[in-house]
Amino acid sequence: MPSAATENKANVPKKGIFNNTTGFSTLITVTVLSLAWLAGFASRLFAVIRFESIIHEFDPWFNYRSTAYMVQHGFYNFLNWFDERAWYPLGRIVGGTVYPGLMITSGTIHWILHTLNIPIHIRDICVFLAPVFSGLTAIATYLLTSELWSRGAGLFAACFIAIIPGYSSRSVAGSYDNEGIAIFALQFTYYLWLKSIKSGSIFWSICTALSYFYMVSAWGGYVFIINLIPLHVFVLLIMGRFSQRLFVSYSVFYIVGLLLSMQIPFVGFQPIRTSEHMAASGVFALLMAIGALKYLHSLNPKGQWKQLLILGGLVAAVTVFLAVVLLTYMGIIAPWSGRFYSLWDTGYAKIHIPIIASVSEHQPTTWSSFFFDLHVLVCTFPVGLWYCIKNVNDERVFVALYALSAVYFAGVMVRLMLTLTPVVCVLAGIAFSILLDLVLREDETPAPTQESDDKNLYDKAGKLKKRTPEPVGETGLGMNVRSGTLIAFMILLMLFSVHCTWATSNAYSSPSIVLASYGNDGSRKILDDFREAYGWLSQNTAEDARVMSWWDYGYQIAGMGNRTTLVDNNTWNNSHIALVGKAMASNETAAYNIMTMLDVDYVLVIFGGAIGYSGDDINKFIWMVRIAEGEHPKDIHEADYFTERGEYRIDSEASKTMLNSLMYKLSYYRYDSGGSPPGFDRTRGALPGLRGFKLTYLEEAYTTEHWLVRIYRVKKPDEFNRPRLPLAKRTIQTSNVMSKKLAVDIGHMTSKRRKGALKNKPILVKGKKVTKLD
Amino acid sequence: MKYKSLLFFTLFLTYYDANAQNRGKGLEEKVRNLKDLTAKYSMISLNLNRFKEYVRSPPRDYSFVVMFTAMAPSRKCAICQHVYDEYTIVANSFRFSSAYSDKLFFGIVDFDEGSDIFQMLRLNTAPVIMHFPAKGKPKPADSMDFERAGIHAEAIAKWIQDRTDVQIRIFRPPNYSGVAAFLVLFIFIAIFFYVRRNNLEFLYNKQMWAIIAVFICFAMVSGQMWNQIRGPPFFHRTKNGPVYINGGSHGQFVLESYIVAMLNCAVVVGMILMIEAAGGVNGKDVRPQEGKRRRFYSVVGLVLVCVFFSLLLSVFRAKTQGYPYR
Repeated sequence: MPSAATENKANVPKKGIFNNTTGFSTLITVTVLSLAWLAGFASRLFAVIRFESIIHEFDPWFNYRSTAYMVQHGFYNFLNWFDERAWYPLGRIVGGTVYPGLMITSGTIHWILHTLNIPIHIRDICVFLAPVFSGLTAIATYLLTSELWSRGAGLFAACFIAIIPGYSSRSVAGSYDNEGIAIFALQFTYYLWLKSIKSGSIFWSICTALSYFYMVSAWGGYVFIINLIPLHVFVLLIMGRFSQRLFVSYSVFYIVGLLLSMQIPFVGFQPIRTSEHMAASGVFALLMAIGALKYLHSLNPKGQWKQLLILGGLVAAVTVFLAVVLLTYMGIIAPWSGRFYSLWDTGYAKIHIPIIASVSEHQPTTWSSFFFDLHVLVCTFPVGLWYCIKNVNDERVFVALYALSAVYFAGVMVRLMLTLTPVVCVLAGIAFSILLDLVLREDETPAPTQESDDKNLYDKAGKLKKRTPEPVGETGLGMNVRSGTLIAFMILLMLFSVHCTWATSNAYSSPSIVLASYGNDGSRKILDDFREAYGWLSQNTAEDARVMSWWDYGYQIAGMGNRTTLVDNNTWNNSHIALVGKAMASNETAAYNIMTMLDVDYVLVIFGGAIGYSGDDINKFIWMVRIAEGEHPKDIHEADYFTERGEYRIDSEASKTMLNSLMYKLSYYRYDSGGSPPGFDRTRGALPGLRGFKLTYLEEAYTTEHWLVRIYRVKKPDEFNRPRLPLAKRTIQTSNVMSKKLAVDIGHMTSKRRKGALKNKPILVKGKKVTKLD
Repeated sequence: MKYKSLLFFTLFLTYYDANAQNRGKGLEEKVRNLKDLTAKYSMISLNLNRFKEYVRSPPRDYSFVVMFTAMAPSRKCAICQHVYDEYTIVANSFRFSSAYSDKLFFGIVDFDEGSDIFQMLRLNTAPVIMHFPAKGKPKPADSMDFERAGIHAEAIAKWIQDRTDVQIRIFRPPNYSGVAAFLVLFIFIAIFFYVRRNNLEFLYNKQMWAIIAVFICFAMVSGQMWNQIRGPPFFHRTKNGPVYINGGSHGQFVLESYIVAMLNCAVVVGMILMIEAAGGVNGKDVRPQEGKRRRFYSVVGLVLVCVFFSLLLSVFRAKTQGYPYR
């Protein structure tokens, strides 16, 4: 098999214009990369242009809030920040439960710009951070691909990743999330790793470790790196590709990376205490053992050491494996956590962790979402993989492993499409580059013709003369085929870019806190209900008011409304969430008990029935029930919320438990909008089964313009079920003794009898009132 | 005389109609009989008489969970066997657990032995698991809904706990089949390597590894993992003939994913053909007499890529409403 060296020899003279002058090729590289950056940046701005410069969705609001806190109070205060506004009454130690890389990145940019006297608001930095980093990702991908194959392939890969929907889905302007910067760190770490394994220099290895440190500080997906690189080393060992370069680069990377990663407070001692990181240390031990054996071998190269080497390697591998298993059994190493375990055993999460299963991005991936996110690359990247394996070397082993593991993870979870996208771009770039390189190359004139001349010398002279006029057309593909291929592939790439722009614009550029609806005439209507409600909360409620809502809206309430929440998107405490779910799923009285227990002042529900918004709380309700049932199986039964035929309905056929649940009542209380007949629920397409009811323990505090957000105030114990006495009667009170007697007797007067009826209620106000009168 | 009358009474009890029989027997005796029956097998197989006696007639303080099934091979009930296995696990777990009491019994009715029971309860499907509470008549929720809960033993136990407040901890007989299969495979591979220990060249065959890798990619990209987890039907039969492509973008059929894998594969083959025809990665020596053949292959590759990619696009368009942009 020809190695890379011969390939280079073959390629160098044929590259034509690109390699003639370094200056020219550098110019092309720089131009293409900056254009890719620009295109990537521009295609991520749809949300800003359509709506405004605003933070999107849920998690970004928390990131924004903590970034703002860090910019205001300084880094060390941020690390020690105890957030009492979240998880009431538990609170949250933010500094120790967050990956700070994102905040530090934007905080640093903010600091630099302000040092240069450029006054820019931190929000704008947060909004535009991800699009800017997409350009850096393109450059990192270019570097990675040119290490793997050639610079032309690198340029293709950079252009692909700049606009591909699988990546822009997480990095549009306003989507201020860890993934936005983490993909850059991922690609850059891989590039440096390949560089270090190629050169075997400590410098590049330490660079890899530093880049890995940045990745650890930015995203929990760093586990992918710390498992993929050891896997690469392991496979290289199996393939018998051990070398000094490998030894130096991995041992330096592992030690420095380990020490650095433990500096992040949230990661702490995990790298030496959990199973997710054990592959790395096991491979490290194995590498040391094999290094030692190799050294022994080099002392006496003549002896029968080869078999000893193989045997020793196997023994070392088994020993390391057994040691890890034993330590896990002894409890020194924590076993795989549920989130990782669910990647292998795909049915695990659904049975044991409903809160993971309830998130839509943790579902497996259909082929159409692969196609939607990757388009033409989905059926061209195997070509790149094919040629990488056929012409294998140390680096290409890495990219093959990267592709195979990422494609598996992406199949299991939609969310991990994000880790697949970069490698697909790299491999598809290689495939396109190989093909177009061959097609665009000039038909070789001198070399082949001479060769054919030499061969033809043996033929008859007469034939030779006939052939010489058109040897070019015979040997090459011919002009027609070339141009046909070229046109077809240009069309493919055009389709790809149109698809990418369309997907980014239509599917991934919605801020989801500002909704847009389109009328029949194409006019656009902005529904700004979320901000209206959060604004109301921040202006009209007490500073320390506690707001209960489902966990999806926790970060937004804290970020925009600046009020205390009970649960939020950092779903670390399942039982607390289950308690909120139980309150939502119980009837009003039971819910009131839970709410007083949790000191709730306001309840916020999302109701989309009036405008046909499908992501509202009634549709999420069944997950609340499931999560609540997981913790309180005695009180909540999922089956009670379905009709007898097992349907999930809200109309008159709905089950009684459903109709009496707090969530149902809060959603449909006083609801009379939604077209004809009034009170029609557009999302479910049905008329609610229970209407015109009254609330006892809560009162409506605010409802937004399109009924999307409804806020209720929880009444204090002295506010409900009190008989309304006219003022005159309140003044004429019999003595205390008399009233007690009367309450026990069957009453004399109607007013007394009504008082007596109060006694059966769970919370008796009467006692209080009497003492007050005393 | 006394004995005679007793004998007569017993006969009377045995052969007279079931109602009278039940009235005669006391609760304690019934429970004792049931306990005897469960001593050997954790499940009691019921015929009409037993069913009427133990399950339907009034003096009871125990709940009865009964599975109605059709186990005979001629009935061709594939799911019955699965449900039967899981149900047996539940019954055994209960029988041999510390929570075992005489408040709950498990029964089974096979259609071929007790079709009159099926008629009596107006059942026309199998399998059905029903719960007969100690007091009152079974409510609709007392027959288990497999579609929602699933047929796992854990789900059955949870449902029983729901209905009767008896908590059953499922103890599955450990399943060694997975481990055994793995061991057999491992041994097989080891033997294979041992036999061919002098000829391990095939491991260095890059073509083979490349084909394996590419096929893993096709499988994953065409959503086989989704099929594995969600278990969709192979394809959909409607009145207007079979439907191979699921209309929504959130679902797919098994056959559909195979079609997509084939389309992907065709595009990849086309592209590799084109590259090889144009000289391959390593810039092979170009021989003049091959010119025609290479042009032919190149055109074939191009046609493959274009046709199958446009097919892929059209399948995708069929699934996604309003896809052709704008």
